[in-house]
Amino acid sequence: MNYLELWNSAWPAGAIMLSLGTGFAVVLLIASEKLKVKVDPKIEQIHQALPKIDCGGCGFAGCSSYAKAVAEKPNLIGRCAPGGAETAKKIAEILSLQISDSGAPKRPIVHCRAHTNDKTHYATYSGIPTCISANALPNAQACKFGCLGFGDCVSACKFDALSIVDDLATVDYEKCTGCGACSKACPRNLIEMVPFSKENMLTVACSSKENGKTTRSMCKVGCIGCGLCAKQTDLFKIEDNLARLDYEKYKPTEQTETAMDKCPTGVIIFVGKSAPAPRQPAEKPATATA
Amino acid sequence: MNTLNILLMGFISIVIINNMVFTKFLGICPYLGVSGRIDMAFGMGMAVTFVVTLSGTLTWLIDHLILMGTPLEVTRYVCFILVIAGAVQLVEMYLRKFFPTLYESFGIFLPLITTNCAILGLCLFINLWGIENLLEAVVLSFGAGIGFCLAICIMAGIRENLNLADVPDCLKGAPITLITAGLLTLAFMGFAGMIK
Repeated sequence: MNYLELWNSAWPAGAIMLSLGTGFAVVLLIASEKLKVKVDPKIEQIHQALPKIDCGGCGFAGCSSYAKAVAEKPNLIGRCAPGGAETAKKIAEILSLQISDSGAPKRPIVHCRAHTNDKTHYATYSGIPTCISANALPNAQACKFGCLGFGDCVSACKFDALSIVDDLATVDYEKCTGCGACSKACPRNLIEMVPFSKENMLTVACSSKENGKTTRSMCKVGCIGCGLCAKQTDLFKIEDNLARLDYEKYKPTEQTETAMDKCPTGVIIFVGKSAPAPRQPAEKPATATA
Repeated sequence: MNTLNILLMGFISIVIINNMVFTKFLGICPYLGVSGRIDMAFGMGMAVTFVVTLSGTLTWLIDHLILMGTPLEVTRYVCFILVIAGAVQLVEMYLRKFFPTLYESFGIFLPLITTNCAILGLCLFINLWGIENLLEAVVLSFGAGIGFCLAICIMAGIRENLNLADVPDCLKGAPITLITAGLLTLAFMGFAGMIK
């Protein structure tokens, strides 16, 4: 008898819910038919081929907007840095295009290797702790070219691939996808996107354009522009008191190894997934005081 | 004239004095979660305004036309949730068709609104306060959305500046945000009693 009472008072509630639900279902069904938006199936396919990490490295808001843009304008192909050549190939297949090989994936290289003990400060900077603010002051640190170490690049990185180790931005190449956000974030343009044709790449880890004497006085590991490396191999060029590597014709030989050994301040180092630890600068003891 | 007066008073009251976020502590999740940047906060606020106006009106109609006629007011909660979820879906489709740019800028916020308790709260409050007039219900719903938008935009503005402030390490992140929210609520408490 009790069950019957329960049922009698319960069924109108169920009926109301059911009719409301059905009503909404019908309305939504009609709406979804009437308000259907035609989407090019290629856009969805391209979106599937993309890494879907929404890094924004391509210059669009996210993967879906890049997919839409690339479907309309195929010349935007190859903008996806995390996906690299493989993704570009897939997109080209979807759009039935031919593309040339877009080469090695790009990865960032920090052109500075000065840690806390290597740097010189004329005064203590106690302003807003971001690189862009510190860079606005002439004397946030002695070197006007080197890494400030406040981590604007770290906060720009969506993949946790950057960290500040002893006041120096350090890339974790295992996590890096090559989106290039850090390169844009650095107010001193220290981070260069370089095509990594090998797992580990040689680099001149300094950006100081001061003359040798000034650089030496400010930093223990700065490039003094002596030109010893350029004498070994034409891979290196000296411009504005600074050695630079030509990545277009990057091909490490024995001479580059010698150049690396001969460098008096040891700014020529390997970076990459399994890079050997850089040697300490020859003449100064490693236990130098800060 | 009297009706207009009541509507205006109701609107000001729900936006400032009985603000959903500040005095009822509803919708705190998006209020803290999406208030990182002011443009995103404004997008969220607008989306909520849109949905809350629609669902407030619809729930008032359903409440008065269907549920109150039959002794089924206990199912109010479930029905209201159904209405809100349906309304969000409808709004999403409508925006996608006619305002694609707006739809893109709302992005993920639109489906998230389904779980915004400020909206369900408002629908239930309209019933609790015994609003007998459809127009009043519409104005109150719209006001609640504007109030939420106001709250989240103020919060986002403060948090954008907070990023540049020298916050003690132990208070960084969530703690300072909650303290800010508390202070903001206190400030808005000053409006209490402005309308009797």
